[in-house]
Amino acid sequence: MRERKAKKGDPLARAVMLVCSSVCILGIALIFIFIIKESLPAFRELGPSNLFGAQWSPDVSEPAAGKYGMLAFINGTLLTTLGGLLLGAPLGISTAIFLDQVAPRRAARVIHRGVEMLAGIPSVVIGWFGLTMLVPFLARISGTGGDGLLAASIVLGIMTLPTITFLSLEALRSLPPEYKEASLAMGATRWQTIRRILVPAARRGILVAVILGMGRAIGETMAVQMVIGNARQAAWGPFQRTSTLPSRIITDMGESSGLFRSALFAQGLVLLVLAMLLILAIRLVNRERGRGR
Amino acid sequence: MTSKTKGFLGIAALLVVLLASLASAGCGNKKEGSGGGEAAQTQKYSGTVKCSGSTTVLPLAQEAADRFMEANPDANIEVQGGGSSVGITQVKDGVVDIGMSSRDIKQEENADGALMPQKIALDIISVVVHPSNKVENLTAEQVKDIFTGKITNWKDVGGEDAEIIVVVRDKASGTREMFDEKALGHKKDNPVEPVSSAIECNSNGVLRETVASKPKAIGYVSKGYVNNSIKEVKYNGVAPTVQTAKDKTYPLARYLYLITKGQPSGAAKGFIDFVLSDAFQNDVVAKEYIPIKQAQ
Repeated sequence: MRERKAKKGDPLARAVMLVCSSVCILGIALIFIFIIKESLPAFRELGPSNLFGAQWSPDVSEPAAGKYGMLAFINGTLLTTLGGLLLGAPLGISTAIFLDQVAPRRAARVIHRGVEMLAGIPSVVIGWFGLTMLVPFLARISGTGGDGLLAASIVLGIMTLPTITFLSLEALRSLPPEYKEASLAMGATRWQTIRRILVPAARRGILVAVILGMGRAIGETMAVQMVIGNARQAAWGPFQRTSTLPSRIITDMGESSGLFRSALFAQGLVLLVLAMLLILAIRLVNRERGRGR
Repeated sequence: MTSKTKGFLGIAALLVVLLASLASAGCGNKKEGSGGGEAAQTQKYSGTVKCSGSTTVLPLAQEAADRFMEANPDANIEVQGGGSSVGITQVKDGVVDIGMSSRDIKQEENADGALMPQKIALDIISVVVHPSNKVENLTAEQVKDIFTGKITNWKDVGGEDAEIIVVVRDKASGTREMFDEKALGHKKDNPVEPVSSAIECNSNGVLRETVASKPKAIGYVSKGYVNNSIKEVKYNGVAPTVQTAKDKTYPLARYLYLITKGQPSGAAKGFIDFVLSDAFQNDVVAKEYIPIKQAQ
């Protein structure tokens, strides 16, 4: 309260903050306008039935005759994101519980640092690891090429782990200590306390952690492109090659032009809308949480 | 309080710098790699030269145009796509000064002999496999069946019992265009596409690394990219070399052309000479293709 009053009295700081926040808003608005403007020709001349079709077969010399269906890539994006969460969420949440409730302080510190470092590894390095270690390993145990949905999901699982761990940890730590104390005082064991009291009480915060992890996974480009195989088919099996929206964009953007390029921007727009839906989901969860208390 | 204000100022300054660098990155592209062209010429050219045609030649011509305009600020080179046929038609009709083509001019397109094609590069595509693969030769039919997904196991073409992993280039690449046409028999009215499970790579380099890392893979790259991490196979019994490409016994090859109507003059001549200069041929052309000096 005291701080806010102080800031009001400082016109310079207010001006600076105003500029900063307008720059942010302006940047977001510009990105939106640009992507919509660039993808407009595709929507106008190809139509949604072409863009949301199942067949991807761009035509370079005669762009309007091509097929730019992105269903397979939306499918790939959703499946790899889901796969990444199936691996990343249980690991991340249990790491958070371990750090907060179980681990001795020194061990907790070491693990905490380790996960922090994981968050700092550039995605291209994780992709490189996936390409040179993970894919050959999967190839050997499966007898296939190794790349595909599973490889991408594992890479995404690793990448979402820090986000989910730290945000879940935050959710657990923000619980009133009375919950735990009361539970233990009633004679519950530590495990019962964690399972019955702490995790349920923190579940909305954990849900937000998972959704933010999802946001990290859905837009990941380089690491996924290196291990998913970049095929144009729709994939369902773990070792089938396919593409996600970002990996398709980066594979094709180099030499594309005209409608082809515009169709790629349309994919970018779809990705942006998917990400916005995630943010919306977080807001809904948060509102629920506010009401629940 | 003051330290906080400083912090805000710092952030604001950072954002401004960031935005400025973003803005300038958009305009700055033309400047890169200007060194190659300047030494090659002393005379300055001026005027506008319009080029259109093959999307395969387009990246080369665009790069050349950027470097040429860097060295000749008064010259303006406009490069457009459209395809080889469009390029040939437009240069013939005088709509553009230079037509770009990735195929030979047909007899009927040059009935009066006015069009002057200038070869600028030789494009040879090698079919490549992992070095451990025992397959040495594939017939044209086998290559077509493998890349379209009719043959899926190496044992059907004389190799081990293992699934074939097909690796191709991205759709916008000229290499893919030529391979689809010449090896898969793709035509406008009868489209043929590689098998949908094929891995797509967006450069020759990535394709080479992909094939090199997968013992069961098959792919194709521009000849200039072949090294000992991958193995070329013969196509219909013919090895891909400059010699076999020149005498047309190796079919997966083509010349790239810049075409003018009559002898080129002025800036158009300067531009073509620039494309043929050693600096440009060695710096840019050799990255994807066989420089024309080695192929003549």
